[in-house]
Amino acid sequence: MLTQDQQEALQEIANIGMGQAGASIAQVFDQFVQLSIPRILILDADDMAGALAKLVDGGQITAVRQAFHSHMRGEAIVLYGEQRCNDLADLMGYDQKLDHVAEIELLLDVTNILVGACLGGIAEQLFIDIGFSAPSLMADKVPADALLRAEDVSWSSALLVEVNFRLEKRSFACHLVILMAEEEIRAMGDALDRFLEDCL
Amino acid sequence: MSSGESLELLDFVVDHLEVGIFGVDAGMRVVLWNRFMATHSGHSADKVLGHKLFELFPELPAKWLEKKIHNVFVLKNYAFTSWEQRPYLFRFRHSRPVTGGVDAMQQSCTFLPVKDCADDVQYVCVTLFDYTDTALFQQRLVRAIDELGREKEEQRRLIAKLEEAQGQLLQSEKLASIGQLAAGVAHEINNPVGFVHSNLGTLENYVRDLLRLAEACDETAANGATPAAILESVATLKREVDFTFMKDDIRCLLTESKEGLERVKKIVQDLKDFSHVDNKQEWQWTDLHKCLDSTLNVVANEIKYKAQVVKNYGALPQVECMPSQLNQVFMNLLVNAAHAIDKNGVITVSTGISERWAWIAVNDTGSGISAENLKRIFDPFFTTKPVGEGTGLGLSVSYSIIANHGGRIEVDSELGKGTTFRVYVPIEQTKAEAVASAA
Repeated sequence: MLTQDQQEALQEIANIGMGQAGASIAQVFDQFVQLSIPRILILDADDMAGALAKLVDGGQITAVRQAFHSHMRGEAIVLYGEQRCNDLADLMGYDQKLDHVAEIELLLDVTNILVGACLGGIAEQLFIDIGFSAPSLMADKVPADALLRAEDVSWSSALLVEVNFRLEKRSFACHLVILMAEEEIRAMGDALDRFLEDCL
Repeated sequence: MSSGESLELLDFVVDHLEVGIFGVDAGMRVVLWNRFMATHSGHSADKVLGHKLFELFPELPAKWLEKKIHNVFVLKNYAFTSWEQRPYLFRFRHSRPVTGGVDAMQQSCTFLPVKDCADDVQYVCVTLFDYTDTALFQQRLVRAIDELGREKEEQRRLIAKLEEAQGQLLQSEKLASIGQLAAGVAHEINNPVGFVHSNLGTLENYVRDLLRLAEACDETAANGATPAAILESVATLKREVDFTFMKDDIRCLLTESKEGLERVKKIVQDLKDFSHVDNKQEWQWTDLHKCLDSTLNVVANEIKYKAQVVKNYGALPQVECMPSQLNQVFMNLLVNAAHAIDKNGVITVSTGISERWAWIAVNDTGSGISAENLKRIFDPFFTTKPVGEGTGLGLSVSYSIIANHGGRIEVDSELGKGTTFRVYVPIEQTKAEAVASAA
């Protein structure tokens, strides 16, 4: 689906993009953020649920989905463990103890920040515009393997970019997964080709 | 269109869209305030522009909202709020002054970074969409879903109750049919008990005579009589009690009594087999011919004065079934057949297999069933028998028993000629059925 060159370029771009994302997120939360080196995989739809389940080791997970569009189209999913992102409430301007609704709002907001920063970082490297829809709750505390069933997936293969976040001084960690369908992966391949040409 | 004209157009559109649009700079000073915002907030643009948002609207959640807007400046990226989590940013009256339903306009907002040519965010522009209709619709949906959930639960409860009632019905039909049979069975038992009792009376006399004979021997021997004299007195006594006849009669009486007791034993055993007193409803591999025979014995009294029973059994393998339930079906069919016959009839019981089915047919030479009644014979409480004689449940219960076995009942009837009921049951239960019954 992507050539060796394209995949290497994407890895490079993702690395730089995540670096920038880390810097912006650190500004928002006012503390250092650990980001993993992005892992890039092209997966069959059948393997997707298993791959997502493997990211989180058991327990109940909560997932928020956010679509992105314009030159790059796809969905980003942020997976949270049992603690979700409740520990970030005060950093996001919440005073009181979170009720259920506020917890969800916080989840959506944190997701928006992470997805915006990471995808924005990648799009910037590729000199393409990117827009976002509002995030929505995809799964509220479900077992990991129930998250994405093969029959719910409308494409046969997808690009999975996985990044893990961790805040040093807070008990917060999550996984960001970028999913793009075949057709969109090809479009991204073209953008990567242009990027490679510009580099030469 | 000149650029001046197109700016004018843009201004007009921003001002007249049915969407709230406002903008703030990094100091939270209002830089844009469209007509929608002015109308709904009651603050016109000229009173708002250049003033700090949180001073104008102290009811806003300042800390949270400022952080949110600040993040848009920092991340140069969109942010969102949804009416589902935060019903409104500004407390506006909603667009349904008459039909109402919620206390304020439900809003979803998008926070949009407005960048300059150096890609720095100059302003944050907020669009505020009225989602009141959606929220109301959603409320209705949630209520409808709750209602459906409650109805489903209620149905589940009713189904459980129905199943229980069905079980009780089955049991009471069984008791009722056993009740109907009781008189016949009592007769079947009473008859042998009667003659065994009378035989015992005769035997009592015979034993007394035999004892007399034995005592007479002893007495004459003790008196020192000669052997010839002893023989003589014994012979006299033997003549007196008609020993020759008695000898034969004793054999006869004993054989007859033993047979009578056998009959009682058999009928009791058949009754036990039939009703399965232990009442365990279990799937068992069963010889259906044995079931038919014991059922025929139990209902013999209902049949024997009216009809002759012809058994036309084919070769049947063991069948996986609940025998006591099938017995109930067989009894029902046999009693119905007998009731259809006035006198001198024939009831033919045939069996056989057809593919994966075992079938049992009960044919009578009785009055037959009219086409109009034929449609209703499996309906609960449908009966043509006089009040008090039929429960109207027999065939309906039989039908559900056979359905429960994954089988079917077919009926073929001609008025004045007779009726054939044919029951098909699978020789082996499929896994799903077996699992369901085990649970």
